[in-house]
Amino acid sequence: MVLPTPAPSFPILRAERLEKTFATAGGVPGVPAVRELDLAVAAGEFVAITGASGSGKSTLLHMLGGITRPSAGRVLLEGTDLAVLDDDGLAAIRRRRIGFVFQRYNLLPELSLEENVALPLVLDGVAAARCVEAARDALAAVGMSHRSGHRPDALSGGEQQRGAIARALVTKPAILLADEPTGALDSVNSANVLHLLQQLVHDRGQTVILVTHDPEIAAAAGRIVRMRDGRIVEILAGAQAESPAGATAS
Amino acid sequence: MRLRHLLLRQWQTRPGRALATAASVAVAVGAVVATWISADASRAGYGQLAETLDGPPVVDVTARGGGRFVIDELPPLADLPGVRALVPLLYRPARLLLEDGRRVTQLAVGVDAVSLVKLGLLELEAGEPCRDVDEILLEAALAKSLGLTVGDEVLVPARRRLIPRRMRVSGLVKPDSMGWFAEGADVVFDIQVLGAMSLATALVDRVRVAVAPDASRPKLCDAIAERLPADLIAEIPAGRASMAEDVLHAANLGLDFVTGLTVAMAFFIVGNAMLMNVTERRRGFSLLRLLGATAKQVRQFVTTEAAILGIGGGVVGAAAGLAAAGPISAGVARALQAPALGFAMQPWILPAAVLLGFLVAVAAAWWPAREATSIDLLEGLAAAPAPPPQGVPLKFILVALGFALIAAVNQALVILEVLPPRMTVPGGITLLLAFVATTPILLPPIVRVLAWFIPRSLRIEGMLATEQILRQPVRTALTTGVLIVAVSNGIGLGHAIRDNVDDVLGWYGRMMRADWVLSHAGMLQGVAEAQSLDSQEVEEQVRALPGVASVEGLGVTTGRVAGGACVIVARDVPADQLLPLTPVNATDAELRAALARGEAVAGTVLARRTGIKAGDEVPVEVFGRTVPVKIAALVVDYTSGGASLHVRRDTARALFGLRSADILLVTAKPGEAASLRLPLETIVVDHAMILRSFAEVQQFVDGIVGGVVNSLWAILGLGFVVGSLGVANTVTMNVLEKKRTLGLLRAVGMTRGQVTRMVVLESILLGAAGGLIGLAAGLVTALFIQLASQPLLGHPIKVTFRPSVVAINLVAAVVVTALAAWLPARRAVRLDLLEAISAE
Repeated sequence: MVLPTPAPSFPILRAERLEKTFATAGGVPGVPAVRELDLAVAAGEFVAITGASGSGKSTLLHMLGGITRPSAGRVLLEGTDLAVLDDDGLAAIRRRRIGFVFQRYNLLPELSLEENVALPLVLDGVAAARCVEAARDALAAVGMSHRSGHRPDALSGGEQQRGAIARALVTKPAILLADEPTGALDSVNSANVLHLLQQLVHDRGQTVILVTHDPEIAAAAGRIVRMRDGRIVEILAGAQAESPAGATAS
Repeated sequence: MRLRHLLLRQWQTRPGRALATAASVAVAVGAVVATWISADASRAGYGQLAETLDGPPVVDVTARGGGRFVIDELPPLADLPGVRALVPLLYRPARLLLEDGRRVTQLAVGVDAVSLVKLGLLELEAGEPCRDVDEILLEAALAKSLGLTVGDEVLVPARRRLIPRRMRVSGLVKPDSMGWFAEGADVVFDIQVLGAMSLATALVDRVRVAVAPDASRPKLCDAIAERLPADLIAEIPAGRASMAEDVLHAANLGLDFVTGLTVAMAFFIVGNAMLMNVTERRRGFSLLRLLGATAKQVRQFVTTEAAILGIGGGVVGAAAGLAAAGPISAGVARALQAPALGFAMQPWILPAAVLLGFLVAVAAAWWPAREATSIDLLEGLAAAPAPPPQGVPLKFILVALGFALIAAVNQALVILEVLPPRMTVPGGITLLLAFVATTPILLPPIVRVLAWFIPRSLRIEGMLATEQILRQPVRTALTTGVLIVAVSNGIGLGHAIRDNVDDVLGWYGRMMRADWVLSHAGMLQGVAEAQSLDSQEVEEQVRALPGVASVEGLGVTTGRVAGGACVIVARDVPADQLLPLTPVNATDAELRAALARGEAVAGTVLARRTGIKAGDEVPVEVFGRTVPVKIAALVVDYTSGGASLHVRRDTARALFGLRSADILLVTAKPGEAASLRLPLETIVVDHAMILRSFAEVQQFVDGIVGGVVNSLWAILGLGFVVGSLGVANTVTMNVLEKKRTLGLLRAVGMTRGQVTRMVVLESILLGAAGGLIGLAAGLVTALFIQLASQPLLGHPIKVTFRPSVVAINLVAAVVVTALAAWLPARRAVRLDLLEAISAE
């Protein structure tokens, strides 16, 4: 059921008539992963995008994060149309304004946790001392300061994921995108990570968009966007629903 | 932390990968250094060999139209760069009257012996150079044959003197030491003394300019010619039968090829290693891009790594190359029977090698760096590695066609003599690159055919191995690229060298087809003006010996044909024997008839240099006399490098007054060859000639040729070792890259032994397929080299397929790749299963 809600006043992220079709070889028609989708997310919102496997939720997240370009439509992040940016421009957006958290953590195995967390700042040319300071702050925020010198292979799944969240936060991004962040964790660690994300939203006003196939995980968000066959079919209020936040769906 | 810290951390975590990449640079740089130094040492050896046979390089100043000229006419030339010495020469026959009554006629040369000895251009075995009016030098072998030594006296008649002059032998000249100026003379006078005795004071026959070893002879010749008055000319003289010159030409071209191919191999080895290095870290690069690294940052990361590994590998490679060059240079010296060539450890070699390592690594990293920046960002998120690209990109086909076109155009320009023969080298290397670029297309069908030969007992392993290769044709092609270059090197150059050598040896075999050879040393200049009683007497004595079936006489002198210096050979043409000359576009019968009519045949090289063709009537200048001679046909000949003109002896007598036979080829009756030794030795001692059995001559020729060929095999062997190391390194990295795949195969039930056999089979298939492509490339390379030689030689050299050369190279290719894969495969399958599966 679609909830008619008023549009957000100042959406931090807006997707307009977004489409993505994956090309195939041999003259076979392409596979439409996302079809004519509109979405607006306000600052400080916790939005969960859910749906069955193949519903297009990860593809949507990738387009919102500038990882993949849409076949049609546009994504506006803080008013900037991502489509007009070149490769380096998108890289800069990913470095500074977007934080990513992945299902498989994706920490570089050669670096310590602190060095992994500092990596986006290093790539941005920030001074070494500032990188270290910011990394430590981020690790403290996720409760991983005591493991900052360890390599990823010495950490548990939950610890690695918290480290990955710290990396996503180190640049104080406008938005944090999490793709199945609890997918590789046990129930206890899943709950811990989820709780951490909720805290970030509540305490810091961090905007979080989370993709999950698990309805229980999705329920922790303020707004749940349910997808099927590349379209938004339902928008629901989640456990964290507070001020009216709107979405339009087509 | 900076990005370079990430680099260091990666090296610490995966030292094997960084070391393998640095090792590839070390192998590449070491190969280039060793090959360069060895090739340089070989060229120096060849130069020494050529100097041993023909003496130092020279340019002659003579009178236009022949004859003597006043030495004062010669302008100053000593200041010209490249002039080592100016040697005025005067020749005349000299009759020596010995104390025991014997009379010997020899050619004498007047020269400033004191200066020549000081300059090291004349070596004495004993005694002092002649300086007084009553002193002479004798060539040591002549002196021995006459029973003379230092201090002995002989009588020498002089013009307008009733009483012969008594001359003292002041010294003995080392054999072959005066060959470069003596033109067959065995007796040396001081030039002023000889001039006075000959009533030719201040006159000279020629001034021979000894050229400095590193100078360009043609350039010096042009510089000298510019200064000369109109009645004097400068020319590079036609040497004696320098058959070795042509073997050396092929050898030098071969060295150029080896050096060029080694550099190409270096780029392949390092480029392949860099590409695998980057491919292994695709996921990591994808993550960096996801986190916001720009393409430039990723490119710099890869290039910085390449630069550092290049410098490190360059240092190690320089040391390895220098260490390898030493024994190879010593081997080359042994093969050429030259004194230890050695090589000077130039101070620039080490920094140059390090710079080479840096440049090769950075250049070879260009494409991998591009690949790293174009990795799909989603690859970093994928649970499994991305599948390899299917099929063969069009760009490979276009690149192959482009290279082939460039190579074809280059070769055409060499054949048309727009480019010099040495420019065949870049063309050959470009063609090789074309072959490598076509490998993605050629490899799959070749591998499928080779797979039919896998035994049934290895059916499963063979099927999987074939599938592994066919999955990634482009990736596999690059792995085999090094192998193709190495095999092509061995097969191509091996064929080219042997074909060239066989061509020369075939000619020599036809030329020298007797049991015994009697000779004066070289040509008898000026003797033709007088009756050569000695020469005729020798011939009559030899013919009269029982046991002699036939005697073939050869007179050799120098002259000019259509303005080009050449050697003129006057020969008997026995009716009952095949001609020792191979005609071009004519039959034996036509050749005989033409020679009988008093016509001449010209060597193909002379024809090429002067532009003369069969049917032309050309001016031939000998002993100051110019006569028109018709050229009946061209022949393949290596006398004097092919700059030769052949006529019958009666024709030479009629046209030029040439009567003497410098060389007598004596064929014995069946079973009588050995019995002729003693009587022939008696004759030669009496007439101061040299006697050799054909077997000794053959041995001498084989020695020269064998030495050159063995030296080249040594360097080719180095090239193959380097190629093998490069292949081994590449295959090893290839196997390590597949750790995850091998782990997965074990996870689904393959045994360790099966996986190992599969990996080794895959390498054997690659080795065989790469070897076959290298074979095709090698044969084309051989053809390229021979076609490039054609302008120089004037005739094509037959390219012969040599099964032994092919077999050695193919077997070595398969064995090397199999061995290179076996060890890392065994190591990979012993890993813990989970560790292997989770490997990146």
